[in-house]
Amino acid sequence: MEKDATYWITLAHLPKWGYGKINGLIVQFFHEEKISIEEFFNLSETDWSSKYQLDSKEIADLLVAKSELPNNAFFAENLLSQGFALIPITSPEYSQTLKKNLKVAHSPTLLYVKGNKQLLQEKSVAIVGSRAAEHKALEFTDHMAKLASQDCKVVVSGFAKGVDKQALDSAIKYNGQSIIVLPQGITTFHSGFQTYYKQIVDGDVLALSAFHPKAAWSTGLAMARNPIIYGLADEIFVAESDEKGGTWSGVIDGLRKERKIYVRTPEPNEKNANNLLIQKGAIAVDENGVEKSSLAYSDQNYSSSMVEEPSGSVNNSINERIMKAFKGSPLSTKEILEKAGLDWTIIKLKAHLQKMEEIQKVEKGNKTMYALKGNQVQQGSLFE
Amino acid sequence: MTTRQEQELKLKQTFGFNQFHDDQWETIDRILRGERVLLIEKTGFGKSLCFQYPATVFTGTTIIFSPLIALMRDQVKKLNGLGITARCINSEQAPEENTQIIEDAKNGRVKILYIAPERLQNKEFFEATSRMNLSMVVVDEAHCISVWGHDFRTAFRRIIKLIELLPRQLPVLATTATATKTTETDVAAQIGGKITVLRGNLMRENFNLNVIKVESEDEKLIWLGQNLDKLEGSGILYAGTRLDTEIYSKWFEFLKLSAIGYHAGLDKDTRIEIEEGWMQNRWKCVNATNALGMGMDKPDCRFIIHTQIPQSPIHYYQEIGRAGRDGKPAKIILFYNPIDKKLPEAFIDGSRPKIIKYNLVLAHLGQNMLGEKDLMRKCNLKQTPTKVILADLLEQGIIIKNSKDKYELKSNAPTLNPKPFEDLRNTKKKDLDKMMEYIDTTESRMKFLCDYLGDNSQQNFTNCDNTGIEKITVHVTDEWKLTLKNFRENYFPDLEVEGKGSKIVNGVAASFYGFSNVGAALRRCKYETNEDFPDFLLSLCLKAFRKKWGQERFDYIVYVPPTASGDLVKNFAMKLSHVLKFPIIHDLVKKRQTKEQKDLENGYLKSDNIFGAFSLNNPEKIKGKRVLLVDDIFDSGATIKELGKLFTKFGAVKIAPIVIAKTVGGDLA
Repeated sequence: MEKDATYWITLAHLPKWGYGKINGLIVQFFHEEKISIEEFFNLSETDWSSKYQLDSKEIADLLVAKSELPNNAFFAENLLSQGFALIPITSPEYSQTLKKNLKVAHSPTLLYVKGNKQLLQEKSVAIVGSRAAEHKALEFTDHMAKLASQDCKVVVSGFAKGVDKQALDSAIKYNGQSIIVLPQGITTFHSGFQTYYKQIVDGDVLALSAFHPKAAWSTGLAMARNPIIYGLADEIFVAESDEKGGTWSGVIDGLRKERKIYVRTPEPNEKNANNLLIQKGAIAVDENGVEKSSLAYSDQNYSSSMVEEPSGSVNNSINERIMKAFKGSPLSTKEILEKAGLDWTIIKLKAHLQKMEEIQKVEKGNKTMYALKGNQVQQGSLFE
Repeated sequence: MTTRQEQELKLKQTFGFNQFHDDQWETIDRILRGERVLLIEKTGFGKSLCFQYPATVFTGTTIIFSPLIALMRDQVKKLNGLGITARCINSEQAPEENTQIIEDAKNGRVKILYIAPERLQNKEFFEATSRMNLSMVVVDEAHCISVWGHDFRTAFRRIIKLIELLPRQLPVLATTATATKTTETDVAAQIGGKITVLRGNLMRENFNLNVIKVESEDEKLIWLGQNLDKLEGSGILYAGTRLDTEIYSKWFEFLKLSAIGYHAGLDKDTRIEIEEGWMQNRWKCVNATNALGMGMDKPDCRFIIHTQIPQSPIHYYQEIGRAGRDGKPAKIILFYNPIDKKLPEAFIDGSRPKIIKYNLVLAHLGQNMLGEKDLMRKCNLKQTPTKVILADLLEQGIIIKNSKDKYELKSNAPTLNPKPFEDLRNTKKKDLDKMMEYIDTTESRMKFLCDYLGDNSQQNFTNCDNTGIEKITVHVTDEWKLTLKNFRENYFPDLEVEGKGSKIVNGVAASFYGFSNVGAALRRCKYETNEDFPDFLLSLCLKAFRKKWGQERFDYIVYVPPTASGDLVKNFAMKLSHVLKFPIIHDLVKKRQTKEQKDLENGYLKSDNIFGAFSLNNPEKIKGKRVLLVDDIFDSGATIKELGKLFTKFGAVKIAPIVIAKTVGGDLA
């Protein structure tokens, strides 16, 4: 598989194609036509158009990508020499659980990993929750990680503060094994590789990223990473969720994909949205992760215990709305307001955009437009 | 696709040549069609044109991996002279210059980019590769890819990986002048794809091959003393070790013959200066290790003399290949003294550290990611074995080197397999046996080399001392014996210790540790009898002093306080003080117990060991003074340098070191 790394990198990051379209193409050439990815790239434009029904825009994209193969060869060599491994969706090393859960439409075409790849084949448990989780939730996380480790199940988490970090550290504490799903490109995880060096060497940790290896952390990638955490896990436990943010949207997305999601039953005085998720179809569990079949919920119950959203997260959700407004091409302020559904003045928006790290100004003729930096959400948008 | 005629028209415009040779055209034609080619042709064939020409035809940038900085510099100069934008990235240029070149390459302003394989690690270069429009990749000195070749280099491991990852349509050219069949097969397999191997004949009819069998080093020195000036033109003397290059240089200097020493241990500016001087025939002879001349395009090197047999016929063929590139006669002489076999044998036997050392490195890497220096410290290893171990572990996929130059153990790494080391050792032993056969053969020497290299073309070989040329014999006379004795007694090795921020000056040793009976005498006194150093060492030291500093006066003699051997150095320094009439002071003391420097395997540990270990009583005494610093043995120089700094701190204006013996091969000295 290593010798095809150049081609996989080239295919997996076709700009704005999305996993569904790329994977569809792979199904065609790999499973139906039974040709290698290299052979696919070497087909004529006529074949691309007649056998694969690609339109002229798509063929143009492929031609550009093809011209970048030599550059990507250097890139691939660099990754491999640093001990990163590439696992394309056609590889037997690719997590079957992930493929089963996310299907062709949402499975990442290419995984970048470092550590023990075997962990992708083990039974797995995701433990997720808020970055600012309460003590009760962290206790639950610790306990669930302990149970999973005793059961020889791999703990999947997302390397965020709060519940994610607790899940990882507890799995290590109980001599268990862990998959870290990164909200960034794999080459930007220096400090993590330093911290978890011993665990990686010993085969207890696998770091995994589905994004371009050089992509920096961003909200968009953090959001896009959640479905991968859920997808990699056989069981999903939610320690604590707010009514907005990553955990919330991840669970909602999971429920929509008809996953079973277990949510810790909160105590009456807790201020979180766990009950709300249970109401939306998640399954309530006790402190040992055991399903509570006969719990009753009332609307009053959860609404009275809802937390006040901290202002930061309001901003975050607005930022997300703004970022989702971009579908690749730059937008004017007016277009942003319209597409993000914001009831703001242009001055306020401008000031806000200035503060957003993900946004950059683009001069088009004499007009100032805005665009997303780098490859911020092209993959995040796949999970809408 | 354009025709050969059209391409040759373009050749005339760009390079000024009228036409390609047929063999060149075959390569170029394939390259222009996007193929992969391994080209094995002798020196002087015009291999460079086979990639330089296509590079000018392609729209983008051609990258040439070459391990030879001198060669890159040389070719870049020539190409720029033709108006072709060629650049070279290497470790000897200022970082700013490299950065600018990379920037230019990114923006498509460089047609041909030469780069040392080690630079694949370089971050800036790596960034640039994501933007460059690449047309072709060339691997020069491609035999370095193969462990079976005579000059395997670890950095080429990554180039092979890169080529494996390049799209098949990108032309790749690998070139070498020296590859046996085994190496050829290995290189071709590693480059992979549909590679075409083109091999020319390797016969060099302008060579005049001679072997001189001698019974001692003296015979070599004497023959050279008698005959060097009688040889036509200028050339190279290849000695086996850095020490030998120095000894031959001193000998020629003593005889007032025009010569200079060259080895990889010299600083960059000196090396460049000698290389340039060599190109211009500034000296009759450059005494060098095999670092000199590889890949340099000097047409008129008229003789090559080896005072030490190389490890294999292929090493030999490559080294003598640097002579007579202009096709005019070149004299090739190989000296052989039966004990010479010991050096390559020791080299082959010592080329791999013990397995226990590998395991030690692995044990440390199991705990932390570590750099080369960290490992040298933690494992008490010299630099060379550390590099060998790391290269082997990389090769076997057990460790990786990360972007911060730290080594990491891989998870699920394979276990170390020592079998390849054994295989390689056996192969090298066989190659050395072949080299011995070359010495003893009574058949054509040229044919012997061609056969060995896999060139079986039938030709008439009449260019050696077995096929018509008169054999050379050595005539030792009493007069020459005396001259040599004189030389030996007046030869004092330099101690190179000068450095920024220190008032220490380069000093002198009375002898090399192993050069005469000096080492044995020291060893006996220090570790067996504990008697004072014998007086002949004192007179040797005095001679060395006079040779180096003449009648210069020093204010004080200071001696290095002992680790274990009692007052031997003190007593010796007192005798020296008595004769030279410089007062001695006893104020230099050790603040703490140090380990014996000789037990520490590398310069880092040696420096750590003595860092801050000394102090000076009554330091005001030496303010503004000139100090002669005495010690018995000079190894890495760490102690002497540390003391230089200490005395500089207390205001000494000159610190001059003198020792009884200098060791050879002091790691990182």
